[in-house]
Amino acid sequence: MKNNKRYKLIILFCLCFLAVANVNAQSDWQVPAKDNENLSPFLFDDDMILEGRVAYENSCTSCHGTPGQDDFTPMSPPPGDPAAEQFQAQSDGSLFYKIKMGRASMPKFEDAFADDELWNIVAYIRSFNENYKQQLPNMEGVEIPVYAMKLSFDQNVDKLVVKVLAEELPQAEVSVSAYVMGTFGKHLLGKAQTNELGIAYVDVDPALPGDAEGKVNVLVKATKEFARAKVQQDLAIAMPTEIHSAIEGRHIWSTDRMAPIWLKITFFVSVFGVWFALLFIVFGLRNIKRAREES
Amino acid sequence: MNETIAKEHLSEEQIDQDLLKNVNWGGKFKLWMGFLTVSLIICLYYYYQQLQNGLGVTGLHDYVSWGIYISNFVFFVATSLIGMLVSSVLGMMKVDWVRPVSRIAELVAVAFAMVAGLIIITDMGRPDRLLNVFIHGRVQSPIVWDIAVVVTYVAISALLLYIPMLPDIALCRDKLNNVPKWQQKMYQRLSLGWNNTAKQFRLMNRYTRMLLILIIPIALSIHTVTSWLFAMTLRSGWDSPIFGPYFVSGAFVAGCAAVIIAMYFFRSNYKLKDYITSDHFDRMGKLLVLVALVYVYFNINEIIVPGYKANTADAKHVHEMLYGHDSVMFWLVQLGGLVIPFLLILFRPMRKPLPLTIIAVIILAGAWFKRVLIVVPTQLAPYYPIQNVPEAWSGYSPTTPEIAITIASFILVLMIITVLAKLFPVVPIWEVKEEMNHNNNK
Repeated sequence: MKNNKRYKLIILFCLCFLAVANVNAQSDWQVPAKDNENLSPFLFDDDMILEGRVAYENSCTSCHGTPGQDDFTPMSPPPGDPAAEQFQAQSDGSLFYKIKMGRASMPKFEDAFADDELWNIVAYIRSFNENYKQQLPNMEGVEIPVYAMKLSFDQNVDKLVVKVLAEELPQAEVSVSAYVMGTFGKHLLGKAQTNELGIAYVDVDPALPGDAEGKVNVLVKATKEFARAKVQQDLAIAMPTEIHSAIEGRHIWSTDRMAPIWLKITFFVSVFGVWFALLFIVFGLRNIKRAREES
Repeated sequence: MNETIAKEHLSEEQIDQDLLKNVNWGGKFKLWMGFLTVSLIICLYYYYQQLQNGLGVTGLHDYVSWGIYISNFVFFVATSLIGMLVSSVLGMMKVDWVRPVSRIAELVAVAFAMVAGLIIITDMGRPDRLLNVFIHGRVQSPIVWDIAVVVTYVAISALLLYIPMLPDIALCRDKLNNVPKWQQKMYQRLSLGWNNTAKQFRLMNRYTRMLLILIIPIALSIHTVTSWLFAMTLRSGWDSPIFGPYFVSGAFVAGCAAVIIAMYFFRSNYKLKDYITSDHFDRMGKLLVLVALVYVYFNINEIIVPGYKANTADAKHVHEMLYGHDSVMFWLVQLGGLVIPFLLILFRPMRKPLPLTIIAVIILAGAWFKRVLIVVPTQLAPYYPIQNVPEAWSGYSPTTPEIAITIASFILVLMIITVLAKLFPVVPIWEVKEEMNHNNNK
């Protein structure tokens, strides 16, 4: 009986230990060594920081708050402030990996952002660290191909066709991401990899609204390792939009000429009606004068 | 006891003499007009400044573009509405006691309505472009409706003052031989050859009745449309469907008070105690209680409905009114200018001429500030925050030129009433006689 009690105590201890160990393991986010050492191929400049800021404010602020303000959402584990020391102590590669892959309540942004956009966010986070000095990869002996892209649209299957070439040769396994440029930012159309013919297909929603001719401004990025290229072009891939002027037609807010008919009738009939009655009375005053003559 | 129709002891000659006595250009009048003219010239100097330098000389700015000019305009339109209530509504209901004071009400109506139009012009930065409102105005704009009804109301009020006055003008023509020649000629012209024939009376009564009916919808629409200038915009504090009746009921309060003041002034200066009796004051006091009650009712609605639901913008507006930035003026106007005076008038001694007139002055002053409370605070709480603009734009305080030009509008009203009350008898003589004969024959 006594033994039994001791066993129970040991089991309880073990369970407690396991639980604590598990929690510890969770708070310690292991990044693969290769990814941890990963470096940004771009120099973090103001443009990158600005783009990163927009992306951060759209996607990160709700949990991490405004960097430097310590106003992140209280959660378990706490998301933390990106300007805090604990955040900044990590390598660029680690930040990049964590944003890209996510874990538990931290979403995975792999599908939302292309690699260069993820680096924009890292650049933005680093902009809060005065002591930060960007470490650049050793590019010695690395030859970076110069990509050229050809865009076309396959109407039959509603697909954007992207052909990636380097020195006239098709490039396979290049990551291609296509965006539609809007007034307030870009909207991801889709991502794909080029096949051995250097061609990638990106689905296009046929209901996408375009301009009067159905054109939208498309941005396509191609990346593979250090090689990258960008092309921006107007393509007739969307639904033509008929634009109506807000003051077209008869509305309360239209021009005077296009005032609602009921209003015009009501207004003029009542104004002229009343003035007609007044003029009737004014002219009738002559009758008063005449009434004297008669007497 | 009904003093308003107890004039059996007066002979017709006595009535003529008493009521025509004021038609002269005495020294007192000249002094008073001189004072008004000098004051007006001083104020016009400020308007000249405004013409030269633009609206920059006022306290108006991008956020508060409607200041005391427009508040004053609303007040003037409101005050002018009393002509309709007294001469039309009460007149047609055959409420006999109003007959001696109906001309005073019409005088007040004509003077305030005429000047109301001018106030709008003072609020324009470029009055030389006034014609554009008529040329390019949109039928959809409440401003165009407002111009249409204000002009119509002035015309109809003037006719309503003039046509029932025909027998009295004829009396002036016949009895006043010691007035200047031009004045005699004017009476000659204006009396339209009136010689008291039955047919002339019939015609006059017909036209008057037409005007009395016509003026009701016009008067209601003039102030409803004025309220729509505000209510047709999406702004907290203005965005209210009861603004029309709220304004109309408020107008009757201001108008009643103005008529009581005018009554007191004419009664004591023109020695008309037998015609404008203390009983008239008693009844006007009761009328004031009635219209003030209606107005208090609308005021409660205006605050409690948005205040109870408290959507963000309205809650802020109500808060500013009740305890915030505008609370001092709000409570002074609501309690001091409306509730307390109206409770006082419930007691008979307070409806005696002098106390009632004093209360009327307080109510009228309250009514003026009430319009400021309606117009200004809403503009200081736009949906987009006031930012990146000069510090002064987050508030509003009228400047000296603005106040002087506003005073000028009051001077003009006083001038119009003074001149008209010196040219014509202020109490309808023929109606008083008719009423007296009617009572004697009973």
